[in-house]
Amino acid sequence: MLPADCSRRLVTELQGALDACAQRQLQLEQSLRVCRRLLHLPRALRVPPRAPRAGRPACTPSPQDLKELEFLTQALEKAVRVRRGITKAGERDKAPSLKSRSIVTSSGTTASAPPQSPGQAGGHASDTRPTKGLRQTTVPAKGHPERRLLSVGDRTRVGMGARAPRPGAGLRDQQMAPSAAPQAPEAFTLKEKGHLLRLPAAFRKAASQNSSLWAQLSSTQTSDSMDAAAAKTQFLQNMQRASGGPQPRLSAVEVEAEAGRLRKACSLLRLRMREELSAAPMDWMQEYRCLLTLEGLQAMVGQCLHRLQELRAAVAEQPPRPCPVGRPPGASPFCGGRAEPAWSPQLLVYSSTQELQTLAALKLRVAVLDQQIHLEKVLLEEEVGVQQRSAALRTRG
Amino acid sequence: MGRRRQRVDPAAGARAGALPEAIAALSRSLPSGPSPEIFRRAKFDRPEATSALWQLLFRVLSPLPAGNALASLALEVQARLVKSALCSQGYPRLALAQLPEDGSQGSRELLLALSWLLARGPVPEQMLAQARVPLGDEMTVCQCEALASPGPPAPHMEAEGPVDVRHVQWLMGKLRFRWRQLVSSQQEQCALLSKIHLYTRGCHSDQSLSHLSVTEAEMLRDPEGGQQLLRTLERENQRLEAVLAWRRSELVFWRWMDTVLGTCAPEVPAAASQPTFLPWVPEHGGGELDLVVRELQALEEELRAAAERRRAAWEAKAGGCGRGPEWSAARRASREAVEKELGALQQCWEQDGGPAQPHGPHRLVRREDGAAGDRDLRAAVVIRTLRSQEACLEAVLRRLQGQCRQELARLVGALPGLIWIPPPGR
Repeated sequence: MLPADCSRRLVTELQGALDACAQRQLQLEQSLRVCRRLLHLPRALRVPPRAPRAGRPACTPSPQDLKELEFLTQALEKAVRVRRGITKAGERDKAPSLKSRSIVTSSGTTASAPPQSPGQAGGHASDTRPTKGLRQTTVPAKGHPERRLLSVGDRTRVGMGARAPRPGAGLRDQQMAPSAAPQAPEAFTLKEKGHLLRLPAAFRKAASQNSSLWAQLSSTQTSDSMDAAAAKTQFLQNMQRASGGPQPRLSAVEVEAEAGRLRKACSLLRLRMREELSAAPMDWMQEYRCLLTLEGLQAMVGQCLHRLQELRAAVAEQPPRPCPVGRPPGASPFCGGRAEPAWSPQLLVYSSTQELQTLAALKLRVAVLDQQIHLEKVLLEEEVGVQQRSAALRTRG
Repeated sequence: MGRRRQRVDPAAGARAGALPEAIAALSRSLPSGPSPEIFRRAKFDRPEATSALWQLLFRVLSPLPAGNALASLALEVQARLVKSALCSQGYPRLALAQLPEDGSQGSRELLLALSWLLARGPVPEQMLAQARVPLGDEMTVCQCEALASPGPPAPHMEAEGPVDVRHVQWLMGKLRFRWRQLVSSQQEQCALLSKIHLYTRGCHSDQSLSHLSVTEAEMLRDPEGGQQLLRTLERENQRLEAVLAWRRSELVFWRWMDTVLGTCAPEVPAAASQPTFLPWVPEHGGGELDLVVRELQALEEELRAAAERRRAAWEAKAGGCGRGPEWSAARRASREAVEKELGALQQCWEQDGGPAQPHGPHRLVRREDGAAGDRDLRAAVVIRTLRSQEACLEAVLRRLQGQCRQELARLVGALPGLIWIPPPGR
């Protein structure tokens, strides 16, 4: 299709695109692992994008689920051991811990120990008992899933002392049935108990300090001391005056930035044009406005082209600065240095899973389109290059 | 909390403690910043301060967040990259480019370079923001790093003989498959994320957030990791305080830097000297500009055709109606309105402000009612913007594909003996 030398560039670009995708995929898979672990989802099972409301029929836990339960038990034990060590340092307020503990025991589940804030479980000896109870019953009861669940519930109630006599096991069976799609039985841990979690106090303090410091930083940014700003400008001027380097009208970074702005201008203008052309004018006034807009857009495009010619001339006439750099490092750490970036992240609010998925899918689509466009441009450049070269050859030959 | 000295009297600069304080704050606020002693030594151009300053400049100028790979680069390589980066940003002093790269001398020049960077932009804040601990689940709204290729293309595709077109097509197919994989993985991740947010609602001490993020939930699941996160957070807080202290006291630093500059002999503009040759060649210096020119020219053509059509149609219609005073008033009003609109549009790319997308990462927050504060983004709004972006890009892609096909047809005509395999339909 294309002579060898130009398709090489295409191949390089394709490889670059493939690498970028692979990197992104790796990141996604890493975070997927983390999320699945939090929700106690076994790796094989995947949550379908739309979790169906219809409950799945009550079924007995599969051997896979039993294995998961065993892993969970071990993890629980480890967590308890670790937390015992941390407990000494942690300060806890009693009220929420008592409340959550009682709710925990009344519904007969023991798997809630890990999500509770550290420093809490260690101090209460009763927490260890349900764990042990769980362990003891898992081992012999491989073939009798129903009975096992019952005995776990029993142990729990016994271990924690008399509580509201909710039939733990029965409730659990019922809870399993209507739970959304393929979740292992212990998945309802986060689902049931998630809203009782509490972050450790030390962390909360540090986090609130963190956000207030960032806020202070943003406000100092906007109201920069005038003296300091003046001193900086003065220093830069002194530097320029004392230096022997050519006074560059435009550094490479600035040229690139300007080119980027004009590229953005092109796409915005094009977008506007499409809007105007696709709108159906109702009356003459609207038609007139549409006409004026189109002519105005045309004038703006002309201005941009003029600016580009100026840029090209400036780049060409500057003495070649001896710093050939394919991509100037540090050019745009984040989307170009803005006047007032918000240093700490702002919120992006969504209201449903669907919305989040649509948002993410669209973002990815736009990125993929960007990549496709880039590749097409490379192809076009190479084709034009081939044409030029062959034309030169023909004229010469 | 912080004392703010908006007007520092000149005498304050002469106070004994002010300068060391400022330098100490600066060094605390930079990542692995050199000790204040280094700054002092650099003023006197002492050689032992040189390598620390090269390394600091490298950290500041390198685009990627600090990784071990970067830190282990040899000093010469770091120095060369620093020179190259400063040059492309328009650094005025020649002396820097002439410094030896082994770190044996030049600390005063390096100090000047560092101050130049500090004067031009909020360097400590930027570096801090780059290395920030993300406490929430974040999503960037802008496209700046979505599928950015990782650094300059590795030069592994060197001359290997003619490339088979089937190889190209295979690569394209592979790429398409990877895109599909990305889509499905991302959908799953969103579903799980949304679940976690849903299940942990009501937990967070911060009312506006209400639910935990994955990072925070992880911290509860894994207390050791949580301790590490806490330590990192505390270190970040310390650096934040250092940056704030630096901002309060930086005036005296600039006065000092003026004196440092004064100790250097002014440079003579030397046209002849050619600094060292740098490793890689610019890829397509003017190519970028050419592409934009071509796009704009194409757009101009389309606009001209459309505008002429409409103008002709309008003249035909409007010729019939009267030209009373209210007519011309209405026309003037329309003109002004259109001018204002287009002016606002121009601001979008001129100033990077206005209705442009806010940049940087945003913390995802799930709220049933979708209510958002002033400075927060709402997903529905972003989706709308993305959809229009998508439509625009699709149009651009279609046009480019058409252009490619045209060029290819021309090639087929021009080059004899060329076999053309049409690309698979999309």
